[in-house]
Amino acid sequence: MSKPTQLRIAGGTVYDPANGGGAGGADGVVRDVCIEGDRIVAELPASARRLDARGMVVMPGGVDIHAHIAGSSVNHARRLLPEEHAADPMPAPRLDDGAITRSGSGGTVPSTFATGYRYAGLGYTTAMEAAVAPIAARHAHAELDDTPIIDAGFFVLLGNDDYLLRQLGAGEAARARDYAAWLLGTTRAYAIKIVNPGGVEVWKGGGDRRNVSGLDDAVGSSAVTPRKILEALAGAANALGLPHPVHIHCNNLGQPGNAATTLESMKALSGQRAHFTHLQFHSYGGAAGNGWSSAAREVIEYVNAHAAVSVDVGQVMFGAATTVTADSPVEHLLYASSGRKWVNVDIELESGCGIVPYAYREKAAVAALQWAVGLELFLLANDPWRVVLSTDHPNGGTFLSYPELIRLLMDRAYRDERLKRVNQKLLAGSALLDGLSREYTLGEIAIITRAGPARLLGLKTKGHLGPGADADVTIYASDSDRAQMFAAPRYVIKAGTLVVEDGQLRRAPAGRRLAVRPEYDAAVTKDVKRFFDQYACVAFENYGADPVA
Amino acid sequence: MIDRTVANVTCLGCGCACDDITIVVTQDRIAEARNACALGIAWFGDGTVPAETRVNGRTASLERALTEAARLLTGATRPLVYLAGDVSCETLREGVAIADRLHAAIDSLAATAATAVLAAQRRGRAGATLGEIRQRADLVVFWAVDPSARYPRYGSRYAVAPRGVAAPQGRKDRTLIAVDVGEALGPADADGRLAIAPADEVDSLEIMRATVQGRTVGEEARFRAAVELARRMTEARYVAIVTDGEPGTTSADPARAEALVTLSQALNAPTRCALSTLRGGGNRSGADAVLTWQTGFPFAVDFARGYPSYQPQAGAAALLGAGEVDAALVIGAPAALPVPVATALARVRSVVIGPRASAATFQPAVAVDAGVAGIHEGGTAFRMDDVPLPLRPSFEGARAALVTVRALRERLGP
Ligand code: SF4
Ligand SMILES: [Zn+2]
Repeated sequence: MSKPTQLRIAGGTVYDPANGGGAGGADGVVRDVCIEGDRIVAELPASARRLDARGMVVMPGGVDIHAHIAGSSVNHARRLLPEEHAADPMPAPRLDDGAITRSGSGGTVPSTFATGYRYAGLGYTTAMEAAVAPIAARHAHAELDDTPIIDAGFFVLLGNDDYLLRQLGAGEAARARDYAAWLLGTTRAYAIKIVNPGGVEVWKGGGDRRNVSGLDDAVGSSAVTPRKILEALAGAANALGLPHPVHIHCNNLGQPGNAATTLESMKALSGQRAHFTHLQFHSYGGAAGNGWSSAAREVIEYVNAHAAVSVDVGQVMFGAATTVTADSPVEHLLYASSGRKWVNVDIELESGCGIVPYAYREKAAVAALQWAVGLELFLLANDPWRVVLSTDHPNGGTFLSYPELIRLLMDRAYRDERLKRVNQKLLAGSALLDGLSREYTLGEIAIITRAGPARLLGLKTKGHLGPGADADVTIYASDSDRAQMFAAPRYVIKAGTLVVEDGQLRRAPAGRRLAVRPEYDAAVTKDVKRFFDQYACVAFENYGADPVA
Repeated sequence: MIDRTVANVTCLGCGCACDDITIVVTQDRIAEARNACALGIAWFGDGTVPAETRVNGRTASLERALTEAARLLTGATRPLVYLAGDVSCETLREGVAIADRLHAAIDSLAATAATAVLAAQRRGRAGATLGEIRQRADLVVFWAVDPSARYPRYGSRYAVAPRGVAAPQGRKDRTLIAVDVGEALGPADADGRLAIAPADEVDSLEIMRATVQGRTVGEEARFRAAVELARRMTEARYVAIVTDGEPGTTSADPARAEALVTLSQALNAPTRCALSTLRGGGNRSGADAVLTWQTGFPFAVDFARGYPSYQPQAGAAALLGAGEVDAALVIGAPAALPVPVATALARVRSVVIGPRASAATFQPAVAVDAGVAGIHEGGTAFRMDDVPLPLRPSFEGARAALVTVRALRERLGP
């Protein structure tokens, strides 16, 4: 057996906030980072191969806590966008070792290979697919198998699950928890996702009601409400000791005045660990039919004051996007107002899927408000460890817009310049207009793009550069134009392999799958099987993502 | 091998992909395919498949066949890869990789439903997985299709008979309407039916959409029944419109496919509606899904420029017909190829890897028999509604398509 490869990244300015350096806005520390095999080690012999990083910025590989990159909903979106794919072709990259690579296409919803290569090119080495219906788990895994380089996992949709809702209606809290645990394991998922709790179920039910509007609306029986769903699943995630708490997309996404629902949801889970995703889409003031405004300050101040709450922002970036979500009633509203292509797929007994291609224009009043709300959330956040950078790719913009977003956060002059150009109509109450002067430091960027999300995901070997960590390292040539700097890392190392050098892909190893398999009382499977025999169109034995026979 | 029964087997005889089949094997033959319909029983057959390897019609070693296949394909200036039926998604992924490597054109059995796919690309779609139609639908409209012929268990498993969450009494809780368009008739046992002349079909759909949207429409007598149906649909709680995506007796007019999409979308303003587009078997929906995630396009992709480009007007049949292709690789069962493709393949040098390759009528230069996905080989297949299902082989020992296709890919080098 050959010895594991050794590499000393020498003399770079290291931002490793999880291990002290760079936290709280401190500058990086000039030190070596040593890699042996696929791990970071404390020391290496002087003879080890060196990579000269003097004058460069060294960070752990990026960790995307919430993106839509693989699975049936994403593939429906791809199928809907042939024009985008035609406009952004990707020839197969040539690698150093002559290994096979694949061509593909980009746009807002790239092909799987393009997704893997482009994440790596951006210095991101881990990503979480944020919404997979359990029945399509096998599909999501197959796509992730075709998504090279990045380590990836997914969140499984449970907030409108028929069996789960039945258990809540019957007061069977323990069985609901066992079910969640069984489902996570059998689908090889990483965390529990709630999307518009109860709302998708109401939308699918037909009749006069189209959605729920608040936490105490009845979902089917009055014993089941969005509040009950939130409480049950947050409780389950914490009781099961999952590495990531329940991941919540609140009710009323995108509606004026929805900040009230968002705050109520946070309060409903008060004291429990919970992650609230794409907060920007849930932080609006005003009222339906009576204008929109920013409620970012109110929402983020609550987050600031409550340590058990974490969020990712879901920033809107100007340009093309594709909205793709399990929140299908919201997509119907968006379709009704935009009149563009619309996909809706009701997913049996579990969830939904809605897709509308979209573009955020800086001259559009609502888009400008959304852009401003996202930035306010970032700039008013006190604890970067709990406020993660995301665009809800590809909903608010694609992951390729992260460097531009970083520049907006780090460069006030640039931000103010951009602010002048956007539609001002709805910005009256926005803190941005008051001239928020904060500029994120490199240390804080390292937190919101890697150390923070890794910690919130419970990925102990990610997001830091201490001994034992995964050797996922991104090295940037310092550049005062932060968008430039973060768009084109000088080197990206994944699991000890140099995968990107000067913007060129060098190697494309397969990534690893991130999944959990919590314990549960096996009695639950008997009851689930009974339910399957009654209602399901897939055999219980064929469900999930485990190999059969 | 010993006698055995294998439960929860998925049938790929049509796009229903019923996964409740029990296969009984006695004396190394399928003695019974329990729960399967006649089409399914025929698809399973007795479980025997040939295991020939031929080069230019003569028996050859696998080694020789793969070498010859690689030579033929790498030597071609305009190769075509065709993804045929009865192979798993795992094999299809290898097939797309080969096309990418060869800078070949690639198409698949999914292209048979091109009209419906293209309409959905222009407008999107209002859909549901089949199980959700079972749970929800109280009004099921069969638009110029009777599924019992080509999708025999569609009614009993999904849209008509079974009990659902919102249809606790099954059939009794659902109203079925047959829309007969010319020769294309809906089910005989529908609760109501109306006839539309083929020439009036698109106009009828447009007028129905106008009705649903509350726009006033003229009361021409020939549209009266359609308008009445549209009103009835808006009053239902959850409408399913069932249409056949595969070619047959219905028109391939793009406007027709689009009008079905936009009607079903419009119905989601006053109520809920899902359009269920029936698709054939053999895991063709898997070919659509795999090609989409690997390239961004569902069928008719061309890698000639070193990246995928979409050529829906120049798919396999068109390229072959124009004499552009000088070598073809067919992955899957040649027996179920669309007729124009099979006919044109007789005029080019071809490699076939798949079930009964050696029996291909177009005389391939290289034929390597493989087992049938779902009978002799495991993996994943997609139901017509994109629900992925595992395959459970009831035999071992037949040469796996996956292994052979992968071996060919490896032989092509990076
Ligand atoms: S309906 Fe289709 S999938 Fe089901 S048993 Fe018959 S042929 Fe097979
Ligand atoms: Zn999302």
